[in-house]
Amino acid sequence: MNIGIVGAGQAACTLIAELVRGQFSGKILVFNGESYRPYQRPPLSKTWLHNPTDSELIRLLPEPIETHASLEWIQDHVVSIEPDQGVIAGKHGRRTVDHIVLATGTRAKTLAIDGLPADKVHVIRTLSDTIHLHEALDAAYNIVIIGAGFLAFELASSLEHPERTIRVLAKGIRALPKISVKAADRLLEETPASVRVGVTIERYDQDSTSLITNHGPVPADLVIVAIGAEPNTELAIACGLGTSEGIPTDPLMQTTHPRVSAIGEVSLHTQPHLNKVMRIESISEANDSASTLAKRLLGAPEPFKATPWFWSDQGKLKLQIAGLAARNDEETCLIDTQTERVVIRHNGDHVTAIEAANAAKEFMAARRLFEQGSISHKALLQAGSVFSLLQSSRS
Amino acid sequence: MPQLTCVDPNEQAINVAFEPGETILQATHRAGVDGILAECGGGCSCATCHVILTSDWEGTLDAPSLQEADMLSFAVDSTPQSRLACQVQLNGQHDGLTLAVAKRQY
Repeated sequence: MNIGIVGAGQAACTLIAELVRGQFSGKILVFNGESYRPYQRPPLSKTWLHNPTDSELIRLLPEPIETHASLEWIQDHVVSIEPDQGVIAGKHGRRTVDHIVLATGTRAKTLAIDGLPADKVHVIRTLSDTIHLHEALDAAYNIVIIGAGFLAFELASSLEHPERTIRVLAKGIRALPKISVKAADRLLEETPASVRVGVTIERYDQDSTSLITNHGPVPADLVIVAIGAEPNTELAIACGLGTSEGIPTDPLMQTTHPRVSAIGEVSLHTQPHLNKVMRIESISEANDSASTLAKRLLGAPEPFKATPWFWSDQGKLKLQIAGLAARNDEETCLIDTQTERVVIRHNGDHVTAIEAANAAKEFMAARRLFEQGSISHKALLQAGSVFSLLQSSRS
Repeated sequence: MPQLTCVDPNEQAINVAFEPGETILQATHRAGVDGILAECGGGCSCATCHVILTSDWEGTLDAPSLQEADMLSFAVDSTPQSRLACQVQLNGQHDGLTLAVAKRQY
């Protein structure tokens, strides 16, 4: 069986690595629409942006896998797929395979701001985005980051410089709304940016090089839009396999067409941890969905069962999250010392996530406990730490 | 260029040339050593770039940070010589030394 993978990001590369290691017998065609060999995205807003050197350093696949004889790399932008015929059509040619894998990922959402010249606006999603941003930094003393999520604050931290003023402007009522107030506060203590919430941007004034907002003018030589991502589902929509919300799959990553699977941030499937159909943007989702598909293609299917996890670095602060909370889940602070802070997110007694700031042991213990099953809020409070609860569950 | 010898999970010994200043992860990845997953891309967040150093490394490295030590305590079959490849910066003293990739990262 020959397969064609559309995309060459984290999910595609995990699938490739697992198929090669599992001695997949067919040919694997990989359509890479970017002009770089596969690279890691997390460093783009973190260490690499701070000091971009050789893109080899963030290469995603080890050499023996990337150059394995079963792989054919095709540098092309896919314009359509024909599931019944197994056709993948790129700008430069058509190929026919037995199975199509959509690993098209997401793209940065953009924001139209009246009067703002295109060369002053940046997003961060790809390696070339990061390179462009870095080139523009020399002339940027007043940087505005629009958005209130991890990306906005990682960028603020990576761009910190004595000659730069960094401002984060957010539309909502608070920064970092996806995490608890207590964990968000810990991150906000570290940020070099001044943060303003409840901001509506009206337009950009070129004469004063400022964004005009409902809070008055904000100086901006350079604007970075970090307001989230949206899935690349156009190929799937065109053949009835998806919507702008994502590409629905079953727990084996199969779409509604037997010859097409979808993995990574575009796939919309039941998350067993939450018992809810949703799309998750994280490395863990990319890896776990790709592993699930690899097992199926290698003839040993096992349904998707992973619990998502996330992390964000800001200078010396590392926030790690096991699980995923809904925005209105309750929060209880479990540990709060000078260095560590651990917050439980829960819905009644059902723990949905553990947010650990500079508390790696608690984070790893939470991942292990979630792998074993659900976590009781009451039991966790009694144990005093996630690590103690894990230990008592093992004894 | 200085070199390391890296024993991968299939017991293959691979020569890994490195630039002083880069991490074990960067050097082994470029050399194509198998078995180091590094899911988080070198962010000390996943404990899937677990390597085991030989005693020859003693005295050439600072002790792991608290964060690294905490992550390592959850690595599969962690030993006192275990490190996360993303956190160990190489220098000239490491020329000629040997390390092993953990058999399993999960």
